[in-house]
Amino acid sequence: MSEAVLEIRDVSLAFKGKRSLLDVLSNTPVKNVNALNGVSLDLRQGETLGVVGESGCGKSTLARCIVRLHEPNGGSVHFHGMDVFASHERGDRTYNRRVQMMFQDPYSSLNPRMTTGQILSEALRVHDMCPEDDVPARLANLMDLVQLPGDALEKYPHEFSGGQRQRIAIARALAVEPEVLIADELVSALDVSVQAQIVNLLLDLQDRLGLTILFVAHDLRLVRHVSNRVAVIYLGRIVEIGDSETLFASPSHPYSQALLSAAPSLDPDDKGRKIHLEGELPSPLDIPPGCPFHVRCRHKSPKCTTEQPKLRPIAGRGSVACHHAEEIENV
Amino acid sequence: MTLRSVKTPLLEVSGLCTTFGAGDTSVPAVRDVGFTINKGEILGLVGESGSGKSVTLRSVLGLSRRYGRTTGSALWRGENLVTLPESDMRRIRGGEIAMIFQEPMTSLNPLLTVGVQIDETLKAHTDMSAGERKKRAIEMLDVVGIPAAGSRLFEYPHQFSGGMRQRVMIAIALAARPKLLLADEPTTALDVTIQAQILDLILSLAKDFDMGVILVTHDLGVVAQTCEQVAVMYAGRIVEQGSVRSVLREPRHPYTVGLMRSVPQNVPPRTPLYSIPGTPPSLLSLPDGCAFAARCPQRTAGCETGRPELETLKGGRSVACFNRVEAKGGAAA
Ligand SMILES: Nc1ncnc2c1ncn2[C@@H]1O[C@H](COP(=O)(O)OP(=O)(O)O)[C@@H](O)[C@H]1O
Ligand SMILES: Nc1ncnc2c1ncn2[C@@H]1O[C@H](COP(=O)(O)OP(=O)(O)O)[C@@H](O)[C@H]1O
Ligand code: SF4
Ligand SMILES: [Mg+2]
Ligand SMILES: [Mg+2]
Repeated sequence: MSEAVLEIRDVSLAFKGKRSLLDVLSNTPVKNVNALNGVSLDLRQGETLGVVGESGCGKSTLARCIVRLHEPNGGSVHFHGMDVFASHERGDRTYNRRVQMMFQDPYSSLNPRMTTGQILSEALRVHDMCPEDDVPARLANLMDLVQLPGDALEKYPHEFSGGQRQRIAIARALAVEPEVLIADELVSALDVSVQAQIVNLLLDLQDRLGLTILFVAHDLRLVRHVSNRVAVIYLGRIVEIGDSETLFASPSHPYSQALLSAAPSLDPDDKGRKIHLEGELPSPLDIPPGCPFHVRCRHKSPKCTTEQPKLRPIAGRGSVACHHAEEIENV
Repeated sequence: MTLRSVKTPLLEVSGLCTTFGAGDTSVPAVRDVGFTINKGEILGLVGESGSGKSVTLRSVLGLSRRYGRTTGSALWRGENLVTLPESDMRRIRGGEIAMIFQEPMTSLNPLLTVGVQIDETLKAHTDMSAGERKKRAIEMLDVVGIPAAGSRLFEYPHQFSGGMRQRVMIAIALAARPKLLLADEPTTALDVTIQAQILDLILSLAKDFDMGVILVTHDLGVVAQTCEQVAVMYAGRIVEQGSVRSVLREPRHPYTVGLMRSVPQNVPPRTPLYSIPGTPPSLLSLPDGCAFAARCPQRTAGCETGRPELETLKGGRSVACFNRVEAKGGAAA
């Protein structure tokens, strides 16, 4: 097993709730949005770790905590052993450079008034990546890496298609020679054929540059394809994490089972073993006690309603947070 | 239950064209589209973004003629919806033919409670009494799986979560018991778990009320699990059409083959995915020949000069291609 580049331990983040007029009048206490509730995972050198879960489960919040766009209320993030939230490390720009985040909508993260060339040179300058004289050669090299024609450097973001804009976002991330890429729904807004091109590019770059990738997406087929390992998140907690093929072929946690069985198969005769989830995702304002999944779980026992299951390794599988992981049949 | 072999056509679309723009810019968004929907049948409409799926639905409902020009015919109970006056269209829209959108907030009124919105639809399209309407409203929220329907009638759209809001929109759309539902990517913005619930709901309503459905989606898995028939659109035209089972198993148009291949299913993990080279042509400068020619692995010289017509093969499959991909089982469609 390769070395952990990032060690995330027990990270929690509650967003301060907003107090509505009604709350003030009725003297209701403000509730916090418990977006992350003790997430622990290692991101290992050179791997792709997929992160899946329903919207609102905290995937983006986790990604943003890792790149220090949010500060957790509890827990820690270590990068090669360095505590990235320790006060003396806060100003450390090397970390900002070595761990790069890419977003779903490059429109909002690429300055519309700058050409691709300007966007990339700015990134190079901010982090003092190369002598001024070498900038043009480096820009040409980046265009090669992301397979865009050289004249793309003179164009503005709006002159590109969605897929090409994602290539620019990738080029900007790569400009500063990162070790880790955090891809939050990077290809979610693209058509399948374009998705495939970007995913191929990402896998190829990972191979050539030895990148470590956290791949957040809600397209389960895509996550299965790119990931070495996968983490399934439910209400701000990891409920299952392990080898991607094992987890997708036979998920162990009742939530993973239900989530994966909901993805429609391309085969009209494969109706799948649809496991229907009852009820709605509880609000992160009111996370149920015990196992947070018990209100929708087919396997719940009295213990599940009071005692919170810990994420623990299960023989022959990954780690699972379920009291009954051993008894529940893999599907 | 009626035998599936006895099909009653509900909507027959043929030669449907919609062009936007005026003067020297003209955007032919939908060109010569034709299909038939039978009672209780679900037709999937797939294709990349910009291929004309939404405009096709909007054209059937007479919504495209506000911004562009629609020609051709969409026969609905003896009337051509394409030429029907707006006043008559308004009677049909939301009544016999309902539409739901990807983003529910575009069709929900944020200022009115859900109950009032269902009531307005019923008032406009049925002769039900106030009491019957109230009963129907509760029943509809219940049918779409909204818990405690009776009390939620008095809530506003923003008080519902994304998935529930989608259901509210479906409840309103289906309140007047439409005979045809036009659903434009109704689950694209939702999680797979909610998507499965909404699709099950549409399936059972189609069955229970003999309602026809056109389901626009870009997810071939959704088509496989929900539809009987599928039409594949490319640059405003239907390039392949047939039963879902046959089209997905044995696509015969090179574009459909490419679409199927780019889905990461049954591909060894972390190996390069197939991707159709290039991008769709601009609608402002469509080639004379086949619109897919520039990206097509099957292309021959004739493809760039002549345009392949949609041709119906044995077994009911239609394909618009000079060099159809061979069916695995020989000539079978
Ligand atoms: N800046 C914020 N302020 C308040 N609540 C937030 C903020 N960002 C996210 N949330 C809430 O935190 C929860 C997790 O959100 P997010 O991490 O975006 O989920 P995901 O990416 O899995 O869809 C959601 O309930 C969301 O509404
Ligand atoms: N009101 C309009 N005016 C001009 N062009 C339009 C209008 N509506 C749609 N289009 C164009 O028509 C084409 C087809 O659009 P659409 O049907 O929305 O595609 P799809 O739903 O398949 O993604 C696109 O190129 C789009 O830009
Ligand atoms: S702990 Fe209990 S409620 Fe939670 S997933 Fe396992 S069986 Fe279900
Ligand atoms: Mg997110
Ligand atoms: Mg559309």
